[in-house]
Amino acid sequence: MDFLQTTLTSFVALIPVTLAQSLILGFVVAGIMIPFRMLSFPDLTSEGAFPLGGCICGVALAAGLSPITAIGIALLFGFIAGCCTAFIHLRFRIHTLLAGILVMTMLYSVNLRIMGRSNLSVFGSTTIFDWVPFTQAGFPIAKIVAVGIISVIVFLLLNFYFTTEKGTAVRAVGANPAMAEAQGINVWAATIGGVGLAGAFSALSGALMVQSQGFADVNMGLGILINGLAALMIGEAIVGKTTVWRQLLAPFAGAIVYYQLVSLCLAAGMPPPDLKLATGAFVLLMLALPSLRGAGGRQAATARESFRE
Amino acid sequence: MLEVRAARKTFYRGQPDEKVALNGLDLTLATGEFAVVIGSNGAGKSSMLNAVSGSLMLDSGSVIVNGDDLTAMPVHKRAARIARVFQDPMLGTAASMTVAENMLLADLRSRRRTLRPGLNAKRLSTYRERLSILGLGLENRLDTRVELLSGGQRQSLSLIMAVSGSPDLLLLDEHTAALDPRTADIVMSATVRAVEALKLTTLMVTHNMQHAVDYGHRVVMLDSGHVHLEIGGAEKANVTVPDLIGHFSTKTDRMLLAS
Repeated sequence: MDFLQTTLTSFVALIPVTLAQSLILGFVVAGIMIPFRMLSFPDLTSEGAFPLGGCICGVALAAGLSPITAIGIALLFGFIAGCCTAFIHLRFRIHTLLAGILVMTMLYSVNLRIMGRSNLSVFGSTTIFDWVPFTQAGFPIAKIVAVGIISVIVFLLLNFYFTTEKGTAVRAVGANPAMAEAQGINVWAATIGGVGLAGAFSALSGALMVQSQGFADVNMGLGILINGLAALMIGEAIVGKTTVWRQLLAPFAGAIVYYQLVSLCLAAGMPPPDLKLATGAFVLLMLALPSLRGAGGRQAATARESFRE
Repeated sequence: MLEVRAARKTFYRGQPDEKVALNGLDLTLATGEFAVVIGSNGAGKSSMLNAVSGSLMLDSGSVIVNGDDLTAMPVHKRAARIARVFQDPMLGTAASMTVAENMLLADLRSRRRTLRPGLNAKRLSTYRERLSILGLGLENRLDTRVELLSGGQRQSLSLIMAVSGSPDLLLLDEHTAALDPRTADIVMSATVRAVEALKLTTLMVTHNMQHAVDYGHRVVMLDSGHVHLEIGGAEKANVTVPDLIGHFSTKTDRMLLAS
């Protein structure tokens, strides 16, 4: 009983902080989902674009720029990073995952160069969270309100875009590139634009995280991809992925649920070093489920398919 | 009108397995003409179709549609004028998207895509009407994802998508070869109806000699990368399957079985 009570108390106490964090990380999950699901382009750029956004935002805040300008610059460079990955894949016919690893690795040096050191404190700089009325700056509620509003706007914009004529064409590139090309769709433009957009979301997430935590660190992206994938899997399990709006809601919903689950595990006394192992095992299980359900001879084939998914 | 002039393409040039796919191929198709292309494997049928659609760039020669030189144009730009139905039903449609969304993509083939909502009531009713011509009930399944349709339904959908918007040129790449005989008949008769109703300039590749006899205004036989024989006019009207097979330089089992 005692164990349950302490677990529950510390979990409940952590809910607002975790919620703020998960809303911020919802964007990086969206940045993982868009290439993965909309473009069939499994991508690792987010692991580099997330800290890129953070480092740029950190440097911009330290230089005295407004938090909105800082986010704007982060978005732009995140977009460029995503475009680079897509271009490397298309032009040199390098596998998307390898192209992502290349860009992610190179971005580590870029991030260090941008900041000039491995971490940078921006405590005391104005952040967008200071502008939320009726709340005390620095408290989770201000972050929840600010990031919650941005999340809703981004979700609505994405939901609108992917059902327009242009957005439908982008989805066709993910569904069947040869057919998309035969229907007059420029596959290069759609892929580069789409993966770039995803990079921009990852960078946005990093920039918001830096404003939230008050410092930027080159290692802040470590493991973000697998966390994001886990969140995406949970989101898709809850809201589904059969229609455009469900698929777009999945990353945001998934991030919220996933980080609460992590918080619950930590509150229950799980040693933090084990977290990555547990997350990896969870993602593996989610990816393996379809082939575990399948019977006999079909198993090998399904396993390969779900990896491709 | 389609003109292919002195088209040449060599694969693996300078290597031991060098292969001349197109060897100075010339072909002219008048506006509204329906030509059936036959030839044994490796004769250059697919290479010719790919060269016309743009997925194969020629070493030399040119591809001209309605007077405009398309030789250097990428596939997605040619798509405004050229529509294509692939042999594999999986290739011609986007499986994870709905029937209506696939129709929308075809609808926008030759138009600028805007930031307006793609599907609206007016478009849906147009698509319903177009699909009802098939008589397969697809008009009632606009919200069904295409991966849930059978191969024949998917191929029929590909055909309707290809002919919507009256392309300057329709390419049919053995588009009934992967279907069972009954479905192949449905798709083939829908093809003929659409081609005649819209007076489409059509190039159909087939291994089915009976189709070559039954359909089209002209039979074009390819051999080693160039046009070996053309049969048109009255001669085409009276040609028989054994006549056609007699013209093949090498006879394969598949051809004999098809006769």
